[in-house]
Amino acid sequence: MSITLTMPRLSDTMEQGTIIRWNVKEGEEVASGAIVADIETDKATMEMQAYDDGVIAKILVGEGTQVPVGTPIAMIAEEGEDPGALDAAAPSGAVATPEPVAEAPAEETPSASTPPPAPSPATPAPSGSSGDGARMRVSPVARRLAEEHGIELRSLVGSGPGGRIIKRDVLAAVETAGANVEGASGEVTPVAIPMPATTAPDQALAATPGSVVHEVPALESTEVAVSGMRQTIARRLVESKATIPHYQVKMRFSMDALMDLRRSLNEKLSGEGVKLSVNDFIVRACALSMAEHPMFNASWAGDRILVHGRVNVGVAISLPEERGGGLVVASIRDAHLKSLRMISAESKHLAVKARDKGLSTEEMSDSTFTISNLGMFGVDDFTAIINPPNSAILACGAAIEQPVVRDHQLAVGWEMAATLSLDHRVIDGAMAARYLGTLKGMIEEPMRLLA
Amino acid sequence: MSERVIEFRDALREAMTQEMHRDPRVYLLGEEVAQYDGAYKVSRGMLEEFGPRRIIDTPISESGFAGMAIGSAMLGLRPIVEFMSWSFSLVAADPILNNAPKMLYMSGGQFGCPIVFRGNDGAGGQLGSTHSWCVEGLFSNVPGLKMAIPAFPDDAKGLLATAIQDDDPVFMLESERLLAMKGHVPEGDHYVPFGKAVIRRPGTDVTLVSFGRPVHFCLEAAEELAKEGISCEVIDGRTIRPLDIDTIVESVRRTNSCVVVDQSWSFGSPGSEIAAQVHAHCFDDLDNHVMRVHSADVPTPYASNLEQEYLPNARRIAEAVRSSLYVA
Amino acid sequence: MSSVTDPARTATGGRRSLADRTSATPEQLHEWLRQMLLIREFEVRTMQAYQDKKIGGFCHIYIGQEAVAVGCTAAVRHADPIVTAYRDHGHALARGMHPKYCMAEMFGRIGGCAKGKGGSMHMFDKPNNLFGGHGIVGAQTPLGAGLAFAKKYQDEVIDGGTNEHVTLCFLGDGALNQGAFYEAMNLASLFDVPVIFVVENNGYSMGTSIERGTSMANRIIAKGEGCGLRGYEIEGMDVIDVYEAMKDVADTARAESRPAMVDLKTYRFKGHSMSDPRKYRTRDEEEQWESDDPITRLRDAMYDGGLLDEAAFKALAKEQKLIVRESIAWAEASPEPPIEELHTDVYVERFGPYLGTSMPQIVTDAEENR
Repeated sequence: MSITLTMPRLSDTMEQGTIIRWNVKEGEEVASGAIVADIETDKATMEMQAYDDGVIAKILVGEGTQVPVGTPIAMIAEEGEDPGALDAAAPSGAVATPEPVAEAPAEETPSASTPPPAPSPATPAPSGSSGDGARMRVSPVARRLAEEHGIELRSLVGSGPGGRIIKRDVLAAVETAGANVEGASGEVTPVAIPMPATTAPDQALAATPGSVVHEVPALESTEVAVSGMRQTIARRLVESKATIPHYQVKMRFSMDALMDLRRSLNEKLSGEGVKLSVNDFIVRACALSMAEHPMFNASWAGDRILVHGRVNVGVAISLPEERGGGLVVASIRDAHLKSLRMISAESKHLAVKARDKGLSTEEMSDSTFTISNLGMFGVDDFTAIINPPNSAILACGAAIEQPVVRDHQLAVGWEMAATLSLDHRVIDGAMAARYLGTLKGMIEEPMRLLA
Repeated sequence: MSERVIEFRDALREAMTQEMHRDPRVYLLGEEVAQYDGAYKVSRGMLEEFGPRRIIDTPISESGFAGMAIGSAMLGLRPIVEFMSWSFSLVAADPILNNAPKMLYMSGGQFGCPIVFRGNDGAGGQLGSTHSWCVEGLFSNVPGLKMAIPAFPDDAKGLLATAIQDDDPVFMLESERLLAMKGHVPEGDHYVPFGKAVIRRPGTDVTLVSFGRPVHFCLEAAEELAKEGISCEVIDGRTIRPLDIDTIVESVRRTNSCVVVDQSWSFGSPGSEIAAQVHAHCFDDLDNHVMRVHSADVPTPYASNLEQEYLPNARRIAEAVRSSLYVA
Repeated sequence: MSSVTDPARTATGGRRSLADRTSATPEQLHEWLRQMLLIREFEVRTMQAYQDKKIGGFCHIYIGQEAVAVGCTAAVRHADPIVTAYRDHGHALARGMHPKYCMAEMFGRIGGCAKGKGGSMHMFDKPNNLFGGHGIVGAQTPLGAGLAFAKKYQDEVIDGGTNEHVTLCFLGDGALNQGAFYEAMNLASLFDVPVIFVVENNGYSMGTSIERGTSMANRIIAKGEGCGLRGYEIEGMDVIDVYEAMKDVADTARAESRPAMVDLKTYRFKGHSMSDPRKYRTRDEEEQWESDDPITRLRDAMYDGGLLDEAAFKALAKEQKLIVRESIAWAEASPEPPIEELHTDVYVERFGPYLGTSMPQIVTDAEENR
């Protein structure tokens, strides 16, 4: 069997070598130990010896060529072989394509990283669990204790360095816990959008009272303490989004008829102290539509769906900062049984009470469906977060005068967009579309709401 | 608990003599161990008891006699090599670090090294910078060796007896400052297993972890802090390799605070290793990061007042505890 | 050449007869020739394997010094410990290690004598009483004293008899410059430890000739004498001479239970290690030594003595080539050590990540074959 001579590794760091001089020729006999070539390495010129006896059958790499270690450079024919025949069998690409250096397993073992005696922690970010923006300093055990005892870290002031919340801060809070935690229980359900008590668009712009434009208003870094109620609202919102499979279905409603009817009714009933808002109509419309679509008045209960007997429509009311901010949902019970004026009166009453004294637990509980309305802010459309345990919420935009198509003709009309957010476990898309169809019928033929 | 009270040095001697009676392969060699009765009188009387073939005076050739002892251990003898001070072991660093702990591995399991190196470790006697080494900071890093460091006389006997019987090389770090300490020591066979720490003083507010002489500094600090209403749990680790991390972790989970007290310099020390492990195991149980108290990061000074400040003394330990607990 | 009179030659330069020179039997001579041929072929293939990147790290070749390992080993008993430095393949094979374990060790395989965890410099063989294979220059000398100490302790203190063993502790001339060596000699002398420090004096510590690195280079046994060790200077290129001389050294040391120091003049034909281009010595010098190959020396002496002919020699050489080739195949087939081996043999005891200890195949095979 022929023997292939490869570029030898003549020093432990050598990667390539150049044949400076061949000491043998093709056809020449060699004995084991003979120096067949002088090779230049990274460090010095070294001699290459043959380890076997035979005849040089072929020189594959010429003098002056640099090749990687392991590249075939010559062939030796052993005793009894025909050197000439080896020509044809010469390995391909001997010179032109340097062979990849054979990695021997006996190479120094890659330094395996020693398994650590202790599992490494690798907790990078010190961010709070609620994922809020501001950084909170909390010792690990304080964090754990707070979680175990249901203490909201944001409600604590840390006594450690840099305001770090430490164990004793949490333990102190646990002792005095009660009001903070209790107040957020029960049916207080968070909703993402405010609903104003009045209908006048200009009135309820709650945002910036007396916002005067300063020159280059500087932002100050502050921390805002968050009330227990707000904490709870936040928690419920996260829960809703995280556990309910939300999807949205949107429809546009032609509002001309409703706006006309509303104006007409308000004119006639102004002497009786009645001032109907667009939302009052929507509340009644939604409530009446439940009769045909009971699943919209239902709640997911794990292994079954609870279809409620009463239709209690929740309306979202935004609270001023003095009351703790955030939203509450006031529940108008049996809305399907109440007239427009009753709905209107109740809505107003609840909104005022929410702002002044605050609503009772009872007033905030038991809604089966929720409506939120950003129309007075000029919002086109938006989506809302379902208010558990409801299965749907209707987000209403503004009624906007805009170009419409009627009878194949361009006209001007009032249109409103409303988007339903739905719990897909209870209501599927077709059901939602049908409900909206019913609702559309009510809203676009508002006389039906009077009956 | 035994009625009998003896000195730390006597306890060491008892371990050696009992094991030498039990096993003829055990022998003791070192400078002045035989005719001088031991530079620190640890081996007093052993020459008479066992004769010069087994209690062997060596010349001042740490590298030579440590290497020779290792060679004999490869053939199954069980030498006890006494370094007059662990500071002198630096001269023998090659055999004790390159041969003893690695022989089993290098030979693929064929030749072990059942040897014990023992001697005085630590500072405190104004011995100056070259005679005050705490070699746990240097040598605990090396896999293949075991390291024991008793703080009380009963452990001196128990740990040394275990070390002599152990088939792996053991570095036994004693303290010259503790040799005269008296304590209850069981008579007869007494073995303290490696890798088993002990709680010297139970407590609820903070876990103090230490080894060797500094355990006493911790106990002193704990007494002081108790007057301030702080309850310290003091753990005597006993062996650095293997380390009983479980006892430490269990304690920190209860107290939520940890201070490690290590007489070696802080950089790359047993103290830093324990702190890292506690952080890993007890991340969610800590009210503060693990504090460490070490000897000052300077060569050991000679002057008495400087040396006392250099050591991880009770005052500095108490300061660390208060800091850990956010107490002024 | 060596400064010692060549005992293989008569005063007029002719060769002395075998019968004159040695009491070794033809079987013994044959065995020595076989061992040297084995070592030679093994080392040649080791070089080749290294250049083929099958062996990594440091690799020190014994070619030229075969007579030392073979002759010294023959002069002591199997139960006598032997320890050497890192140019250890020859000693391992002469002691009886089958070349497959030696090659597998260098290939980093589990079948290696140290389970692949030692490498070329760490040949250990418990069944054959070979205690390494050590990398740090001179570090094996206190170990050698310790081995001899232990054997004597066993014989006298535990068994209550008299010392029956000697230990051969090989070192290079470079180790003469290490402090540990002096301490070892001093201790051995003080404690009457029967260790024979055999200096394989090949005249070079890597690239430094002995004249440049060692005082009293022309009479290194003075250093041993300074510690009370008997000193011997021996011609190291002829295995018969090595054997005859070392036999006396060993018998004396054993009987007296005293250490000794031997200056064995030899020559390594190759570089210090595989990375050494040997620029520090001349080609003439190398050729001069290489013309006096220990293998051809014995072969020619056996030819003269009618104990061997050319055909037999060729057959013997071919047989060793085959053994080495098979050993290489065996080593190639041996798997890499499993990852668990990282954590074995750190401690005897199992704890933490450490998995206790286990014997390599060279020991378990020997136990099975016993």
